Amino acid sequence: MPAVLEFQDIIKDYRAIFRRRTVRALDHFTLQVEEGEIFGFLGPNGAGKTTAIHLAMGFVQPTRGRGLMFGKRFGHAATRRKVGFLAENVALYHRPAEKLVRFYGALNGLSGEKLSSRTKAALAVVNLTHESTRNVSKFSRGMLQRIGLAQAIVHDPDLLILDEPTSALDPLARYAVREMLLDWRRRGKTIFLSSHLLSEVELVCDRIAVLNQGRLVRLGRPADLLESHATFEVVASGVRPEAFAGAEVQPGGRIRVQVSKQDQRALIEQIWLAGGQIMSVTGHKRSLEDLFLELTGGNVESSTQGTR
Amino acid sequence: MKRLRLVGIIALNFIREQRWPILVLQLSVLGLTALGLLSDARSDRDDILITFKQLGMYGVAFSIFFGGSAIYNERRSRRILAVMSKAITRRDYLTGLLLGVGLAAGMFCFLLGFTGTWALCPLGFSFFYLWYLMLCVLSACILSAAVALFFSTHLNPWMSAMFTGLTLGIPGVLAFQFGGSWQYILPLYSLMRVFLKASYEHPGMSAGWAIQAAWIEAALLWWAAGWVFVRIDVAVAVD
Repeated sequence: MPAVLEFQDIIKDYRAIFRRRTVRALDHFTLQVEEGEIFGFLGPNGAGKTTAIHLAMGFVQPTRGRGLMFGKRFGHAATRRKVGFLAENVALYHRPAEKLVRFYGALNGLSGEKLSSRTKAALAVVNLTHESTRNVSKFSRGMLQRIGLAQAIVHDPDLLILDEPTSALDPLARYAVREMLLDWRRRGKTIFLSSHLLSEVELVCDRIAVLNQGRLVRLGRPADLLESHATFEVVASGVRPEAFAGAEVQPGGRIRVQVSKQDQRALIEQIWLAGGQIMSVTGHKRSLEDLFLELTGGNVESSTQGTR
Repeated sequence: MKRLRLVGIIALNFIREQRWPILVLQLSVLGLTALGLLSDARSDRDDILITFKQLGMYGVAFSIFFGGSAIYNERRSRRILAVMSKAITRRDYLTGLLLGVGLAAGMFCFLLGFTGTWALCPLGFSFFYLWYLMLCVLSACILSAAVALFFSTHLNPWMSAMFTGLTLGIPGVLAFQFGGSWQYILPLYSLMRVFLKASYEHPGMSAGWAIQAAWIEAALLWWAAGWVFVRIDVAVAVD
């Protein structure tokens, strides 16, 4: 599949005028987002996610490296006609919702009847039709996020770049947005989704990337990533606990040992050879949250080998 | 054509966002004219002319204020992100802002000219020269806004206003001291001198090439502002 979004070995440094200290927001960042996928972009605060998104939208310039969006360099204005963008903590002009969405639609080249119908459709998608004449300055944070989403989709873009789109939404609205994203994918659109809501990312994303301190630390399909980190709990009897590293003694002389998928077979053989009996083997698939915490919580070893 | 439409949308959006200061400026023209007409106009005709000149100066000051804060306000409020995520180039965006300031200045100059015709011409001020003076003020407003906009691409409004003042003031001082070709370099002084020296008896001073120089230099500054603006990071916060 062709790449819709491509970051090629990008470095982004921020340096304030009159200050020597440089903050490296992205460090040799390489990533490809393919057509028709929902791509989850994860990372703790300050990891560089928003910087990467701002680079893609052409708001900031890379210090080194380059990026392509639909084959054109980041910042190419005409290409942005194919892109819908929702910023984190969206800030919009204070005017009635329908006029606001019309304004952003017009900036993307829509006019006349098409602009009117697309505006109405976008408001309907985010369930704000009944609030179309109300000034957005009176909107709640959740409603603002929904109107932000409406301005992002008003021109029916091929690529949606969403920075924390559901952070202020209630569960019902969150569900509606999730359904909208899935529907968008069914129509062949691409979605680049930055979110802290890991359960949501796990539910909808085809691939995820985890960013930490400006570096890509993991990339792949959620199922593959979680499976590769799966652990097994083996409960056995008739063996001495000191023969097994990390064994936990349970009532009745049983031991419980946790091993990775790769070590599972060796452990079972070791128990058999020692004359023990396997009582149970239980697989524990790790959650995305576990993986996220492991990758971003401590000393993270950078592994960009899987980068596509 | 599409690009022109986008520039127009940005300009009208600027007018809409700045509608209150623009309205205050327009109302000040109407209010002061009404006050002038309510007074004994014949005996106070010089006062009315002074007020007229004072309002013209306000127009230039407001143009610097509008030009100097236009980009900063958008960046600080982060509203620029939603706008720049659309299919608009940074140069077109900047053009829209300058056009917006130009439209605001144009409305102001038209109203000032209209009320001036109403208040000054019956007292003996030349109708044609009054509108010629309005052209001088409009040119000064556009030039000042272009300088302020250039600095506002990379500075905050205070710094932008300071550098705009210096940039417009230094050639003015040099033109005042030495005259000659200095009066065509950022010719705010030359334009405003014509405006401020106008009188009922001797209205006929010409701004010469200063008007044309102002428009050409405003265009150059617009180009330079665009050159800078496409190279800077418009997203404020480091992630």
